[in-house]
Amino acid sequence: MIALALTILLATDTIATSSHTIDEVVVVAAAGEGRKRSAKGKVASIDEHLAELSHVNLVRRGSYAWEPVVNNMQTERVTTTIDGMKIFYACTDKMDPVTSYVESSNLQSILLNSGLNGNPQSTGNIGGSLDLKLRKAGFNADPFHVNADVGYETNGHLQVYGADASFSTQRFYTNGGVFYRHADNYKEGGGRKVEFSQFQKVNAFANAGVRLSPLPTSPKGEESHSVGSSPLGGIRGGLDILEGTFIFDRATDVGYPALNMDVAKAEAFITSLAYKHQWLGGFFNSWETKAYYNHITHVMDDTKRPDVEIHMDMPGKSWTSGLYSLLSASNGRHDVQANYDLYYNRLFADMTMYPGGAAPMYMVTWPDVGTLNTGLALSDCVRLTEGQSLKVSAKLAWQTQRLNNEEGYRAQEVFFPGMRRSYQQVTGRVALNYQLSTLHSQLNVGAGWGSRAPTVTEAYGYYLNNTFDQYDYIGNPRLKNESAIELNGAAKFSMLNDQLSIGLDANAFFLSNYIIGQFENRLSPMTVDAEGVKVYGNLDHATIVNSSFTAEWKPLHWLAWNTRLSYAIGRDDKGDPLPLISPFAYTSNFTFVYKRLQGKVELRGNGKQVNYGKKYGETATPAWVIGNISGEYTLSIHKYALTFRVGVENIADKRYTTYSDWCDIPQKGRNVYVNLSVLL
Amino acid sequence: MKTKVLMLFLAVASLGLTSCNSNDDETGIVIDGIDLSQDVDCCSAEEALQVYKFIQTVKIIPELSTTVDDKYEVWAYSKTGTLHKGYNDLYFVVTKKKTGNYVKYFDITNITPLMNMVKMNMWHSTPVGGSFEVFDTTRPAVKRGWVSLLMNTSDAGSWQFSYDIEVLGSKGSVTNKAINVDALPEGQDWLKSFKVGDDTYYLSLVNPSDWKTGTNTIQAYVSKKNSPATTPYGLATEQFTIEIDPRMPDMGNHTSPDNTPLTKQKDGSYTGSINLTMTGLWRIHLTVKDAKRNVVAGGDDLKDGLSSLFWDVTL
Repeated sequence: MIALALTILLATDTIATSSHTIDEVVVVAAAGEGRKRSAKGKVASIDEHLAELSHVNLVRRGSYAWEPVVNNMQTERVTTTIDGMKIFYACTDKMDPVTSYVESSNLQSILLNSGLNGNPQSTGNIGGSLDLKLRKAGFNADPFHVNADVGYETNGHLQVYGADASFSTQRFYTNGGVFYRHADNYKEGGGRKVEFSQFQKVNAFANAGVRLSPLPTSPKGEESHSVGSSPLGGIRGGLDILEGTFIFDRATDVGYPALNMDVAKAEAFITSLAYKHQWLGGFFNSWETKAYYNHITHVMDDTKRPDVEIHMDMPGKSWTSGLYSLLSASNGRHDVQANYDLYYNRLFADMTMYPGGAAPMYMVTWPDVGTLNTGLALSDCVRLTEGQSLKVSAKLAWQTQRLNNEEGYRAQEVFFPGMRRSYQQVTGRVALNYQLSTLHSQLNVGAGWGSRAPTVTEAYGYYLNNTFDQYDYIGNPRLKNESAIELNGAAKFSMLNDQLSIGLDANAFFLSNYIIGQFENRLSPMTVDAEGVKVYGNLDHATIVNSSFTAEWKPLHWLAWNTRLSYAIGRDDKGDPLPLISPFAYTSNFTFVYKRLQGKVELRGNGKQVNYGKKYGETATPAWVIGNISGEYTLSIHKYALTFRVGVENIADKRYTTYSDWCDIPQKGRNVYVNLSVLL
Repeated sequence: MKTKVLMLFLAVASLGLTSCNSNDDETGIVIDGIDLSQDVDCCSAEEALQVYKFIQTVKIIPELSTTVDDKYEVWAYSKTGTLHKGYNDLYFVVTKKKTGNYVKYFDITNITPLMNMVKMNMWHSTPVGGSFEVFDTTRPAVKRGWVSLLMNTSDAGSWQFSYDIEVLGSKGSVTNKAINVDALPEGQDWLKSFKVGDDTYYLSLVNPSDWKTGTNTIQAYVSKKNSPATTPYGLATEQFTIEIDPRMPDMGNHTSPDNTPLTKQKDGSYTGSINLTMTGLWRIHLTVKDAKRNVVAGGDDLKDGLSSLFWDVTL
């Protein structure tokens, strides 16, 4: 029942999501037509859900906390928000992309806006913006629900246990739950154990909402109909709603086989309070104002590693507080959104090294940088004619950053004499997307320009060792803002009575002042085995082009064949390949549905990495291909639903590593999984 | 008037303002145990307050403190109240016994540390700063000088100090007073020597314990051994340049960029700048060049490519 409501909710979003630049993976709820979803259902990790999105690749440093890469651009060029809330990772080594601080049970879906057409709260998104939509029970849903998930995977003995419950009335709702994952070291193809790939994670969440305005009377039938069209219930007159969310997430004993250290603790506390007014008639639709706070504590640990030359403590802290206020309006022809946001973030990290017997060595690696950022975003989706629409979005943001730590400031001043204590930046973006739909085809073209300020690591990071190229990185406070012009286009045609549809999708980013680490031979590395030092600098220009081809063939109503090919190019200002650009990649699968049974047989692979960033310390990754099989069976008894999923990944137990496996750590070998979701 | 005076006192005492108003207002300053009534030999109330504040930041060396003619108390100070191997700043303050106020005019001369090397039954002195000068103009009653002690007290030998003092025509002295010299902790080595022909020179690094991560001023003195060795060693008259190469031996000899060599200043000290990228043990490898840019010490680039002449400083 809830599942149905949610699917419809997603359907109502299609005005915004119909553009090819927007992609979504559904975490909870039965997959609707064309909706993406992990074969493992809710038991899948956030990383596995992310992997379903087109335009997204994942950088793996272990079996936990993968870093999403959108349009072949990493965290620096991608923004991640949780229900519109800004949150920033706390590890100088990127061990904790913010997607690692939520759990599947927290989420409704993950929304990706590709390129510069970002969601209203995102600032500095060049490659794209991810918004993790929290799962709220909503008003007038089923009065009481209990949901439980259990999962097991043979490879690494991954165990997953989750339970949540929801309660809903016309005036009030609440839902909450707990989730636990535990994994031992996994085995690569061939059976060799990958040491330091274990992890453990506990997550708890709670949401609640209350209607402040009195309930108007309306016929029962109409009420339940309107539930479908809006999660808030479609009641005549205005609605005032107060909503609170809370997430606690704690990962402990997390191994990172690609790095020199592991993580003892990564802990986040994420909370928000929102006030929403919804109109039912007239031009305005809703006005939501949300205040939020989150903090992250990240503690690295090398005490379990053998042969540690120098034991180090490297804690990091991030805390963010902010608000946004989003007003939406529509008049049938225009869908307008205006968003104001403001946040303050502080990042501090330091490092203490303990050489045996000698004095400890201490340095500040993120000098307690306080960032105050505020921005205004506007968007308008205009229906020009039947089948033609135009979306315009723009954002202007201003920020000021201050180095609050004296020692860190003094240290960086060695490299940048006369550097200031605070810096200001103005960034902006504007994007235009035109869409033409006919009965059997859809055409999209878009263009945009946008800029971003350097990240704290790029501007103020201090001797951050990067195991990818074995260089120590020093931030550069004098970096210019990076900007990009984006052009994109997509076309989709269906033929043979819609049995076959094919799609082409491409985008190109022409970046100016592209920020990347540059050799600084004059400097001596800090890390004992490091090759040297790089200082972040602006390349005059760089280019990233992504393209994909998709085909879907449904010869029978129960059988479908999907295939997707993608290819990307990244070049720096000298025409040399940029690092971490995906080689030719393909997936091909057959899915079948027979009554309540669904199945999928899949091939996935990458071609040999030909254009790799040799200059940037990248090595070529050979081609690979693996086979996966999965099945799902749903049993409904009265109100209860029981979903049983089983699958085998990497059936042939191939040993392989992808281009985005940090330091070429091998992927999982054969893995058999089973999981069970019960909905009461 | 009284309120105004009190307010000024509060302002001076609490904020440590160094500005000085008309003499009328100074009567508002009160320092325990000091009679601040007019005395031309002594500090004004404002000056006395500055001296008083300064001596709260240092500690008395009892062995080197004395009295002169039963009229004046002579107080010797160092940062810790003790002496250690290498460079030590010494401060002297003289008070009138009767009033407790600080005397402005006195001279400390002939400071002579002597070490008795018991096994060899030999005596030698050590590098000392030329004379004791007024510390700075706001504290006219504090005299500052330095000694750089070659060794710490041990089974090998022990130290004794002598100096002369003249206060407002009265003369006194401290003679062969035994005093302990502490060793520096592990990872600190602030005094090195080198030979040019038959001459021995000493490189005394000044107060590196004040250094912090970032850019620091590095100061040192070059002293020349005397003959006989029992005479304190004065500053070398030659003009050297001391090039520095700071390294972290525990971090694979990590180094920092843009260090500037120490060059001779008007006051006889050598000054340059040193960049320290983090705390921990820094080994500052030295290359000493003469006025003609010839290497006279260090710069020998051993197996690791680094000079064998170095100071160690642990932050």
